[in-house]
Amino acid sequence: MRRCAAILLAAVLLCRVTSAEAAEKGQILRAGDLLAQPFIDAAKAGPVTANQPVTILERRGAWASVESNGTKGWVRLLNLRLEAGAARPGASRPGMASLRTGSSGRTATTGIKGMDEEDIRNATPDYQELELLGTLAVTADDARATAQKAALKENTVAYLDKGRSRK
Amino acid sequence: MIARSILRAALAAALVSLPGMAQAQFPNIGGLVKGVQNVKKLGDSLRKIPEPEEIKIGGDLASIILGAAPLVQDAEKQRYVNRVGRWLAMHSDRPDLPWQFGIVETDDVNAFSMPGGYVLISRGMFDQMRNEAELAGVLAHEIAHVAKKDHLGALQGSLRNAALGDFTEYVGGNGGIGGAFKAALISAGKDMFTRGLNHDDEYDADRMGVVIAARSGYSPYGLVGVLQTLSAAPEEKGYALMNKTHPLPVDRIERLDRAMGTKFDTVIAVVEDLPSFVALRAAPAPAAAKSTPARAPARSRPRRRN
Repeated sequence: MRRCAAILLAAVLLCRVTSAEAAEKGQILRAGDLLAQPFIDAAKAGPVTANQPVTILERRGAWASVESNGTKGWVRLLNLRLEAGAARPGASRPGMASLRTGSSGRTATTGIKGMDEEDIRNATPDYQELELLGTLAVTADDARATAQKAALKENTVAYLDKGRSRK
Repeated sequence: MIARSILRAALAAALVSLPGMAQAQFPNIGGLVKGVQNVKKLGDSLRKIPEPEEIKIGGDLASIILGAAPLVQDAEKQRYVNRVGRWLAMHSDRPDLPWQFGIVETDDVNAFSMPGGYVLISRGMFDQMRNEAELAGVLAHEIAHVAKKDHLGALQGSLRNAALGDFTEYVGGNGGIGGAFKAALISAGKDMFTRGLNHDDEYDADRMGVVIAARSGYSPYGLVGVLQTLSAAPEEKGYALMNKTHPLPVDRIERLDRAMGTKFDTVIAVVEDLPSFVALRAAPAPAAAKSTPARAPARSRPRRRN
């Protein structure tokens, strides 16, 4: 039993490692060209058609690097749709039994813990948890120090209007 | 029922006739007393309530979600999400609220916010994130709801009927929320969490959220990544409530596409990911046990399995 759990744990850990490199599948939304670089005026790398299946290799801001039929290039992230029905590789899927190691020891437990409409309807407000939540909050100074340590840069960006339809 | 209506009318009349007296006792309630004078306008006054009352309402509503799913027992992770969240909130229109963020223990994918600066995201949602910019995108969307006071707008309809009689308690109880008002508020909160905000508020929060993320130094495309994940999600129970309470992810992506265009191409001082997120994502489960926040003695929490 313990051995089974160990193997299972190893398998889960292995999954985590490999999934980070596992590619996602998607489709092109609008026909156009893949670009050689993630810039709007970069050289073209090859045409793509609407609904053409692609493998997503990397995400970088507004862009994704994709490969399709042996051609590699960059496409706008917003011009991609992920393959439907496929959970993101590596992400634990909700509703699936998950492996946890309890604080009491190496006990592998599976549990499905949802929070659906009925759970909320039947919920009794929990003020002890609310109090605990309050103790976990951080000050603005703390947040700023952490952001500075991580070298996060502040940008001046105006709010967006709704924009115009492409159609 | 009729008797109750008459009682309410009488209470309202009494309040209306004595605004000067009430105001003398509680100097800040002028607006509330004025609200009582017109039942139909009562709801609108919710958006204008003073900040301490808004925070109190938010706490009551947050405790509902916490009653359905407790906080994840991992102080390090909770502190982390608070640091990211607070930093984002500092780039919203309401930087000085006492913002509180938490990850709640459920496999379901969802995120909630409440008036006054409360934001709760599910562990199921956290586990779906590719990088810190995606987490920032979700938190910033929720922060936008708080900044825009969307919840107060949503609550007003449910509270309209209940609030009038209870305003006497609201006014009379040293500014505290009376028991009956609170019961109505909890019920209205459950309606809000299970029915959702209106769809326009969601689209608006998406647009505001990507800006808050970019202002804070995160890629504004983090939220897009999350929406892509959601749009491709299998039709499972774990996504049901979120799907019910939000517009379709593909519609949200399309609206963001329209609004964002290439406007962010020049905003290059943004990051996709940070080591802090990578470390937590890869953290082995046993490590969590060591940093468990202090919790009240064991309470039996009946948990229904889905």
